[in-house]
Amino acid sequence: MSVGKDAANWDAVQIASGDHVAVALRDLSGRVRVRQGSEIVEITLSDAIPLGHKFALVDLPAGSEIRKYGAPIGRATQPIPAGAHVHTHNLVSQRAAQKAGNG
Amino acid sequence: MAENTFLGFPRGSGRAGTRNHLLILGINGLVVAAAGRIAAALPGSKFVATPYGRGQFGPDKECHFRQLVGIGANANNGAVLIVGVDRKSADEVADGIAARSSALVEAVTLDDTHEDALALAALGIRAGSRLAREISQERRQPVPVSELYVGVECGHSDASSGLATNPLSGALVDRLVDAGGTAVIGETIEWLGAEHALRHCGAKPQMGEAIVRAVAAREAAVTAIGVDLLGNNPGAENIRGGLSTIEEKSLGAVAKAGSRPVSGLLPFAGPPERTGLYLMDGPSFSPESMTGFVASGTQMILFTTGPGNSYCSLLAPTIKISANPQAHEHVSNQLDFDARGVFEAHETLDAAADRLFDEMIGFASGTLTWGEAVGEGAECFTRIGASL
Repeated sequence: MSVGKDAANWDAVQIASGDHVAVALRDLSGRVRVRQGSEIVEITLSDAIPLGHKFALVDLPAGSEIRKYGAPIGRATQPIPAGAHVHTHNLVSQRAAQKAGNG
Repeated sequence: MAENTFLGFPRGSGRAGTRNHLLILGINGLVVAAAGRIAAALPGSKFVATPYGRGQFGPDKECHFRQLVGIGANANNGAVLIVGVDRKSADEVADGIAARSSALVEAVTLDDTHEDALALAALGIRAGSRLAREISQERRQPVPVSELYVGVECGHSDASSGLATNPLSGALVDRLVDAGGTAVIGETIEWLGAEHALRHCGAKPQMGEAIVRAVAAREAAVTAIGVDLLGNNPGAENIRGGLSTIEEKSLGAVAKAGSRPVSGLLPFAGPPERTGLYLMDGPSFSPESMTGFVASGTQMILFTTGPGNSYCSLLAPTIKISANPQAHEHVSNQLDFDARGVFEAHETLDAAADRLFDEMIGFASGTLTWGEAVGEGAECFTRIGASL
């Protein structure tokens, strides 16, 4: 298959502008390149990030809303530094919490 | 071809067709075989027949009638031959189609042949052959892209769907809506947890409430039989794939709707009143969901998949899109658009969306999809209540 000269020039994508997380396009660790709109930004990962998983692009305080696809996907349960894995261990659904709260 | 046009079949005041079908439409389960005989004798005709049509009442009856009329009124039909049992119900469907479309409509019924099923087939073949020759005189002409109404569906999703193909179809929907066209997504239960995103993009507060109610109604129906949709959702496989919350999973699914404001919430199989982005309150199984789109008037369907999914609409050309590299190795023949570049990081979403838009114009202008080339396609009726 023909590919451009900048083939495989990024490792992860920020899906919508303003998203707090980027998604890994392959298994990643160390210094990676993230496509953010028309720009490519470098960031150092503090965890190994498997394909399809996500990491923080900025420092996220505990309790803060986390956005992906341009919308909230839940809240941080602890402070999450930029470059760290964001998943079920530090991110909780607000929809499920709301439902549990309502009984 | 001028920019922002496609070659379609103009239909007077309605949307242009991307195809010019002769549709043989069986409207009652008693004449499925008779309608099938007629279609088999008319090569190139399209055959849709409901197995129902009697003993229905209330909202289920209305929903079934809306599907029959909507399927007939789809702009891809140049002519519709209704095959029925009694003259009265055949005329009701014919009148419903005529009110919404400029297609030639005729009806043949068992009433006309003193219940003789073979005589009905002969009558239908004569009428159908006349209609086929009549619509063959129509020619494609440049028509504005704003006349396109596209349904967006997903089936067999994987990591490449939420990452690449759903945002890609979202980018395509944004382009279509900006060009004055219309798009619809359905599968209500997939909005569970993403209501906030859909609600905030709604222009009117009442519509936001209607979206929340539509999801709650389906959630309640499932909860009533003891299934908790939120308890194990996202599931273990989703979590292994990187999805953390129900919001994230659903946002990945509704990403295929793009980012433009929602113009309205349609009932299942209901037509949109204007242009723009619509949501349809409907079932999540693709055959049912897509027939809801076709009955609503879509002349094209975009279908995003991960490993591949062969199902196509019969009446609306269905463009299969995958970004999964293995799918392109195993079933490349069965896929109409290659979005691997977005997943493998050598094509931006915008570049792929521009390319997909051009390909869609080609398919709208007559290029065959895989499903059309091999005759893969069906329409499937949805019931929302029990029979008498």
